[in-house]
Amino acid sequence: MKVHYYPGCTLKEKTTALDVSTREAMKCLDIELVEPEGWTCCGAEYPLTEEKIVGLAAPLRVLRQVREENGDFVITTCSFCYAVLKRANKAIKDDPLKHKRVNAYLRDDIKINALTKEKTTGFEDYNGEVRVLHLLEYLRDHVGYQKIRSRLKRPFGGLPVAAYYGCRLLRPAKDMDLGEPDDPRLFEEFLEAVGATPVDYPFKQECCGSYLSVSLPDAATEASYRVLRSARSNGAAAITVTCPLCFYNMDRRQDKIKEAFLDFPGLPVLFFTQILAWALGVEKTVLGLNQHAVPADDLFRDAPAPEVTL
Amino acid sequence: MKGQKKTKRIGVFVCHCGVNIAGVVDVEKVAKTLTDYPGVAFSTNYIYVCSDPGQQMIIDTIKEKKLDGIIVAACSPTLHEKTFQEAARLAGLNPYQIEIANIREQDSWVHVDKDKATKKAVKIIKAHVEKAVRNESLEPIKVEVHRRALVIGGGISGIQAALDIADHGYEVLLVEKNPSIGGKMIQLSETFPTLDCSQCIMTPKMVEASRHPRIKLLTYHEVESVSGFVGNFKVRIKKKPRYVDAVLCNLCAECEKVCPQIVPDEFNMGLSFRKAIYMPFPQAVPGTYTLDAEHCLGLNPVRCGKCKDVCEKKAISYEMQETIFEEEVGAIVVATGYDLYSMQALGEYGGEKIPDVINGLEFERILSASGPTAGIIRRPSDGKVPKSVVFVQCSGSRDTEKHNPYCSKICCMYTAKHAMLYKHRVPDGQAIVFYIDVRTGGKAFDEFYQRTIEEDKVLYIRGKVSKIFKDGDKVVVWGVDTLTGKKVEVEADMVVLAMAMVKAEGVGDLLRKLKIQTDIHGWLAEAHPKLRPVESLNAGFYLAGCAHGPKDIPEAVAQASAAAAKVGDLFAQKELSHEPTVVPVDEDKCSGCAICITMCPYQARTLDTERGVVVVNEILCEGCGACAAACPSGAAQQRNQTDDQIFSMVTAMMKG
Amino acid sequence: MRVKLKAGPEVRKFIERVEELSGENVYACYQCGRCSAGCPVASEMDVLPNQVIRLVQMGLAEDVLHSKTLFLCASCFTCQSRCPKGIDMARVMEAVRHLLDPKGADAFGPGEIPPDLANELPQQVMVALCRKFSK
Repeated sequence: MKVHYYPGCTLKEKTTALDVSTREAMKCLDIELVEPEGWTCCGAEYPLTEEKIVGLAAPLRVLRQVREENGDFVITTCSFCYAVLKRANKAIKDDPLKHKRVNAYLRDDIKINALTKEKTTGFEDYNGEVRVLHLLEYLRDHVGYQKIRSRLKRPFGGLPVAAYYGCRLLRPAKDMDLGEPDDPRLFEEFLEAVGATPVDYPFKQECCGSYLSVSLPDAATEASYRVLRSARSNGAAAITVTCPLCFYNMDRRQDKIKEAFLDFPGLPVLFFTQILAWALGVEKTVLGLNQHAVPADDLFRDAPAPEVTL
Repeated sequence: MKGQKKTKRIGVFVCHCGVNIAGVVDVEKVAKTLTDYPGVAFSTNYIYVCSDPGQQMIIDTIKEKKLDGIIVAACSPTLHEKTFQEAARLAGLNPYQIEIANIREQDSWVHVDKDKATKKAVKIIKAHVEKAVRNESLEPIKVEVHRRALVIGGGISGIQAALDIADHGYEVLLVEKNPSIGGKMIQLSETFPTLDCSQCIMTPKMVEASRHPRIKLLTYHEVESVSGFVGNFKVRIKKKPRYVDAVLCNLCAECEKVCPQIVPDEFNMGLSFRKAIYMPFPQAVPGTYTLDAEHCLGLNPVRCGKCKDVCEKKAISYEMQETIFEEEVGAIVVATGYDLYSMQALGEYGGEKIPDVINGLEFERILSASGPTAGIIRRPSDGKVPKSVVFVQCSGSRDTEKHNPYCSKICCMYTAKHAMLYKHRVPDGQAIVFYIDVRTGGKAFDEFYQRTIEEDKVLYIRGKVSKIFKDGDKVVVWGVDTLTGKKVEVEADMVVLAMAMVKAEGVGDLLRKLKIQTDIHGWLAEAHPKLRPVESLNAGFYLAGCAHGPKDIPEAVAQASAAAAKVGDLFAQKELSHEPTVVPVDEDKCSGCAICITMCPYQARTLDTERGVVVVNEILCEGCGACAAACPSGAAQQRNQTDDQIFSMVTAMMKG
Repeated sequence: MRVKLKAGPEVRKFIERVEELSGENVYACYQCGRCSAGCPVASEMDVLPNQVIRLVQMGLAEDVLHSKTLFLCASCFTCQSRCPKGIDMARVMEAVRHLLDPKGADAFGPGEIPPDLANELPQQVMVALCRKFSK
C-alpha cells in the first residue's frame, strides 16, 4: 500500500535517522511511503498573526501537491511540520479571507515536470481537502495496534520509556486535536503496543527550549535538563521524541546539559520510529544510531539493558 | 368563533415615559391620530402614566368618559400590567378590559428612525384597539390552598426554611435523600468569620427540626414526582429501605463491629472507611444506623447476617422494602445544595491523581476534631504533618475557556480560614495562598482576611497557578507573583485546591421532575434577579441556599427564612386567584381529536371518552395558547385572545 | 516620574492594531498571571508575558516594544493552553513583535549564528528562529 509522506527538509539532511527508521518501519507493515513531488520546506513556523498570509503558501502548496497526486491524507513525523501543515490546513477551512488570499498566491504557480519539462499552471483552489496525520495517529487509527502487535519480531521486555510530546503535538488543543494537553494518551498507547512500558512523568509536554538553544542557550539547557531529569527520576531508561529539534536539544546538547547540571548522569534519546522499526525486526545498523551523541546501542539488544551506562 | 364587536368606548393613553418613549416616538401625534379610529372614544398623552397623578387621571377619565375599555401605550406589560389592572378596578372597570400596548421595548427602545417609530406606535395601538373592542370582562378563578409545605433538602437552608414555616404554624415535610440531615455544613470544621464550630451551631437546629411538632422529618427519602399547581401539589415520595428500624435502634454499635464490608466513608470525603452498616457521623439526625444495600453482602442471612445476629433490639430486618406514598402540599421549597467541581477536570493540577492535592471539603474533614485524623493536620499520602501547605484559589472558577465562568463566592473566605487554622495548629509551618483577587464582601469578612495576613503571617501571592506535579516526596507548585513580576516555584507538602461550586450531582433528574427552571449552569432560576430572589417563576416553588447559586451560610440562612416568609404569604391568603385568560373548550365544535392534549405542557387537558370531547382543568391551564394554535376546528379559543381578535390585530397592523 | 496615561487615537490605534494582528481581545485578560507562571523562559524576561498584555491594555506602546521579552518567546503555547480566558498569549506576543520598527536591526538573524554551529544545526531550527526573530 502506498501512502503520502512528508519528511520535511531536516529529515533529509541533518536528522536522517528519523526518516530512515520511519521508512524501514513502515515497510515491515507493508506500507510504502511516497513523497509528494517537488515538495518544499513547510516554513517551520505557523504564522501567528492574521496578516502573515504568505507564510501559509508553502505548507498549503505541499498539501495541494498531495491532492494533485490523488492523496487523501499525508503522514508526517516531525512535530514542527505536523503543526504547520495541520494548522495551515485548518486556517484555510475556517477563514474565508485567508482562503481567498492564499489561493490567490497558489493559483498561478507554475510546475515544471522534471522529465518532460512540461509546464502546468492555473491550479484549482485548495480547500483543505487533504488531511494531515501524524504517524502516531496513523498507527493508532489506520494501521491499528493489533496489526502492529501481530508483526512484532522483537520484544522490548517492558523497557521503561518516557514519551516526550513537547509543545507542537498537543498545543493549541483546538487546532491540534490530539488529546487533552495536560492528560494525553496517544504516545503512551503507542509505547504499550510495541512492548515498552510508558513512564508517567510531569514534564512530558513542557518545552525543551526549542530554538532558544541558539539565541538563548542557557535557558534551553535548563529546560531540556528539567525534562530529562524528570523522565529519569520517574524510572525511564530512555526518552523518545518525534521532533528533530527536541532531539538536538536533548541529545546533541546533552554534554552541555551535563556540564551545567552535575547531578544529571544522562539519558539516551530515541526517535519513536527507531523503537518501532527495531521492534518490527529492522536491523540495528539501519536505525541511524550513529547520529546519536548519547549512545543508545545498548537499548537495542535482544535483551535490552534496563539501565544504560553512560 | 366570531367575536361580538360591540360598540365600545375605548380610551387610549399614550405615555411619554420621560424621553424613553417620547425621545423617539412623537407621542402627541400618536395620541391625536388615534382619536379618529373606530372604537376610540378618548385619546391623550401623558408624561408618566404609571405615576400617582397619571393613574388618577386614568381613573377619573374612565369614570367621566364612561369608558368600557382602555389602552395604555407604554412599557412592557411585565412591569405595569398589574398596576393598571388595579387602577381600572378602582374605577369600576373590569381589569381584563385593559390592554397594554408596548411601544417602548418593542418600539422606541429598538428603533432610531423617529418617523417610522411613530408610525409603528400607531399600528401597535390600533391593533390593541381591535383586540380591546372584542375583549370580555373576566373574573379570576378561585383556588384553594393546602397550607402545608414540602422542603426538599435537609442542609442548613432546608432546615432553616422548615423551622420558620413550622413556627408560622404550618405543617412541613422535610425530605432528605441521605440517612441524616446536615448537608455540607455539618461536614465543616469551623465557619468564617467567627470560627464557630460548625457542628456546635448546627446540631441544635437539627435537633429542633427533628423534635418540632409540625415538622415531619423524612430522611432517606426522595421525591419521586410532583403534579398539580400552586396551592395544590400532589407529591409522590419514595421511602428508601434502611433495613434498620430507626425507632428501635439504640446506637449500641455492635452491628458495625461485626460487619465485614469496608466502604470509603463519603462523610469523610473518602479519607477513611466505614462499614456497610453505619451511622454517617456521631450527631446524625435521626440517630440510627443505616444498612447500605449497595455494599452489603446481599441482605441475605445465608451470605452474611452478622449484624442482625448481634442486634439486641432486633432492629435489623432485611425484608424492608421501598415504599412510595402520596402527600398533598401547597408550596415547595427547593434546597438541594451544591457539590464541588471534580479535580479530575484539572489535569494540570494532577487531575486527582496526586494524593496530597486535596479539595476544600477534604481539608475540612482533616481539620475536624471528629474527622479521619482527629483534628491533627496530616497529609493523606503518609500521614506526615505538612510543614508547607499551598492553597490555590479559583480552581475551576472564573474560567470562560474550559471550566466554570462564574466566581464561586465563598472560596476566598474559606481559604483564608483554612490558612489561618493551619497556622494555628502548625505554627512553624508555611502557608501560601495563590489568588487572583480576594473577595470579602460580607460583614467582618475583610477584617478576618486581614488577620490571616497580619496576625497569622500567611503569604498571599497574586498569580494563578499554572501547574502542580509530584516530585518525589514533594508536591511542586508553579506560580507567579504578578506584583513583583517573578515566576515562583514552591515545593509543598500538601496542596489545597479551592474547587468551584457546581450544581449538586444528580439533581438534574429531580429538577426535571419538578419542571422547575434553572440557568445554564444548573442553578435554580429566580423569578427576578434583583427583586424576587427566593421565588421561582414556576408558581408555588421557592428557592433556598446553594441550589440557587454559590453563597455562604449567612446568606443561605437569610434566603431560607425569606423563602419561608414567601410561603407564609401564600398560606396567609384565604384562597388563590388564577388568571382567567385560559383556553376553554367549545364542546359544540370539539371533535375529540385530542391534538390539543399532546400540545399541553401543563397536562391541563384530558379526553372525556364517554362524550368524545376534551375537557380542560382551568386551574392547571396557564394560558400559553399552544392548544389554541393547534386546534383544527377552532374549538380551543383563548379567553381575550381569540383567533378573531388576533386576526383583527394583524389586519389593523397591515392596514397601518 | 508618573506615566501619563493617554487616551487619544494614537493609543487606541496601537491597541486596535495589536488586536487586529493577533485576533485576540486584549481586554479579556484579567491579569491572573497564569501565562507567566507556566512560561518556560519567563525568568529570563524583563517584562513577563502577563505584563506585556497589561502594557498593551494600558496603551504603553513604547514600554512593550522595547522589551527583551519579545525575542525570548519560544512559541511553546503553554500560556495559551492554560489561560482561563482563552487568550492566545503567543499570538499577542507575535503581534507586538510585528509592530516593531521594520527598519530596526534584526534581533536575531542568520548572521548571528556562528558557521560551525550552523553546520550542525537542523535546518528546522534556523528557519524557525530567523522567521520569528529577524526581519
